[in-house]
Amino acid sequence: MRTQGTVGRRSLLKVAGGSAAALGLTAAGCGTGAGSGDGTVTLRYTWWGSDDRAQRINRSIALFEKKYPKIRIRTDFQPYADFWKKFNTQASGGNTPDVFQNAIGFLRKYDAKNVLLDLREQVEQGNLRLDGFRAGLEKFGEVDGKLLGVPVGSNSMALVVDRTVFTRAGVAPKPGWTWDEYHDALARIKERQGRAGDAGPYGIMYLYDLYLRQHGKAFFTTSGLGFTEADLTDWWTRGFERVRSGVYADPKRTIQAKPRSAVTAGLAACEFTWDNFTIRYASEGRSEYGLAPIPTTDGRRTGQYLGSLMLSGSRRTKHPREVARFIDFMVHDPEVGRIMGYDRGVPATTAQFEAYAPGDPVGKQIAAYEQQLVASRVLEPITPHPAGADVCEAAFLRLSEEMSLGERPVPDAVKRYFTEAKTALSV
Amino acid sequence: MDAAVTSVPAPAPRPGPDSPPDRGTAGAGPVPGGRPPRPPGRAGRSRRARRENLAGYLFMSPWIAGFLLLTAGPMAASLYFAFTDYNLFDAPRWIGLDNFTEMFGDPRWRTSVEVTGWYVVIGTPLKLAAALGVALLLDQSRRGQGFYRAAFYAPSLIGASVSVAIVWRAIFSDGAAVDRTQQLFGLEAGGWIGDPDRIIYSLVALTVWQFGAPMVIFLAGLKQVPRELYEAAQVDGAGPWRRFWSITLPMISPVLFFNVLLETIHSFQIFGSAYIIGSQGNACGPADGTLVYTCYLYIQGFENSRMGLASAMAWMLLLAVALVTAVLFWSQRRWVHYEEAGR
Repeated sequence: MRTQGTVGRRSLLKVAGGSAAALGLTAAGCGTGAGSGDGTVTLRYTWWGSDDRAQRINRSIALFEKKYPKIRIRTDFQPYADFWKKFNTQASGGNTPDVFQNAIGFLRKYDAKNVLLDLREQVEQGNLRLDGFRAGLEKFGEVDGKLLGVPVGSNSMALVVDRTVFTRAGVAPKPGWTWDEYHDALARIKERQGRAGDAGPYGIMYLYDLYLRQHGKAFFTTSGLGFTEADLTDWWTRGFERVRSGVYADPKRTIQAKPRSAVTAGLAACEFTWDNFTIRYASEGRSEYGLAPIPTTDGRRTGQYLGSLMLSGSRRTKHPREVARFIDFMVHDPEVGRIMGYDRGVPATTAQFEAYAPGDPVGKQIAAYEQQLVASRVLEPITPHPAGADVCEAAFLRLSEEMSLGERPVPDAVKRYFTEAKTALSV
Repeated sequence: MDAAVTSVPAPAPRPGPDSPPDRGTAGAGPVPGGRPPRPPGRAGRSRRARRENLAGYLFMSPWIAGFLLLTAGPMAASLYFAFTDYNLFDAPRWIGLDNFTEMFGDPRWRTSVEVTGWYVVIGTPLKLAAALGVALLLDQSRRGQGFYRAAFYAPSLIGASVSVAIVWRAIFSDGAAVDRTQQLFGLEAGGWIGDPDRIIYSLVALTVWQFGAPMVIFLAGLKQVPRELYEAAQVDGAGPWRRFWSITLPMISPVLFFNVLLETIHSFQIFGSAYIIGSQGNACGPADGTLVYTCYLYIQGFENSRMGLASAMAWMLLLAVALVTAVLFWSQRRWVHYEEAGR
């Protein structure tokens, strides 16, 4: 703003300067990470997770910045649900973080929206190593020949159990146990310990996926849902019966226990979740917690696959080379492996896997659990979810909750689910 | 006389941030006709006046810039998006009224309208009744009156905060304070938070608890009622109830109208408490029990990336609030009593 004049010029200038500064601030807030004069490059790195994860990541970053003094990393993190809302808003403004945590459900979605950087080129240029990954994990972030994410650690669905309750009820799950054996065990726990057996598996999309895989189907195909209304009606009808009979916990109470888990809140003896989440149970509850295998249909096939959190780059980043170097460091550096532990799953590369030996019982169990999975050859490949999978997951959780509370009859809930999923997958 | 009392009720301090999409629905004034400031021309006859005008505009410029950039611009954009398919990433695509058709056909949208309507219809009268009741009690001169006023006003200041909502969730949960009190009276227990039909009442309780702001306005109105009217009525043998109905209520009806208007508009915009009390990982309450309108709007816009649909919803809310406001204004002829000017 230009102002001329003699009287009160100074005050006018001050006001003008003030507004200009205010505008400038707004503008600066929108700027993307960029390099400064001396060749230092600043990258923005965001992830979802707890404070504990943030502390570990910050220590890893300090190591990285020491090794690469010309690259600075700015960080930001939120809880899972808030993370994607913020990410969407940033990405739509062309302000995507240079590097961010990612998961299988989002690869196709953000690839379709031209958000993800194909890291293949950086691999070819030698800035990112794809060797040294365990169990074929380097294939995990591939979509249609593009490398959209690099795995940081593997995880898999598991049954987290309250060992004290299980032991007292005389229940000992074995690999290959069937759904009938699992439900008999729950009934026995209910009878002998007076506690609901399971927190309620009917709303967990990733578990239903395993159940479907045991029957030769899957939750998602590359473009849509991989099951029928009849399949889901069957799954939810039985789920609702078991809520009624008290084999599964009362949803009214598990809802109110949140954000605590129903298992640590003493409302259920076990629940299905990702094996690396087990770490949180030990600090949250007073009992002893352990991992049990996924029940099967035929006594063998669990339908499991190794999942993984990943690191992805933004297609709009001005520094793809630095992004690749940073990802490379975060997945291969042994010291980072020691710092991160099993926080994001069992480290994806052998270098990091060997660098960290869990000292706590929970960590040891996770390692043993995944080694058993790999050794028993039950693992299957996974196809990246179609765009809209995240909305499908949220709807699955919500409608199963309505169904379990008796607010919505099962057939109605199923119909609604298919309608909503169709909308979500077509957007 | 209380110096703070004015004959026209001043807008009360609003507790906490309102939900952004429809800020200024009815409360804010019309768009100022002024253009952005321009440097003064050389040929002006009265340079001094011009310069003063310029100074005025410059002083206003932060506000004008803020208004244009943060309110008018986004509103215009949102109006455009309402008629497009916009997923935040790809360029908006014009689809005419499709968003509105989809909205009206969406059962979840209807749920959100029901939940919000219920909240407004139950919450607003209860809150105003509480505010008026306490204002009547505090209108008498007694010792420590200042303390009580401050104490009753305090929840209005903190009630909209996130921490209070979290505490609220804890209080109304299974086995917590409210649940145990209920058990003492032999009422069915189990907590309100896990019950899709009851959780909305914990939101109502939260808003009623914040009756301080309308209470202060009522108090100001009560101070305005001429004492001689009561004295005359007393001489005529009117009891307290009769005096309330025939003197107090008509005399404060403008203030009452103002409060009804403000609180109704405010209720429609409930977001923070519903979002926090209702959701822990799962959006807006067990079985959509706290799925108020703005929550659903937020979910559609930011979770499902359907910004076009969300914009259409925002404008629908604006229309609804405008309609309710218009009806209230129309109705005031029948029940709001204005004193002749120059009292």
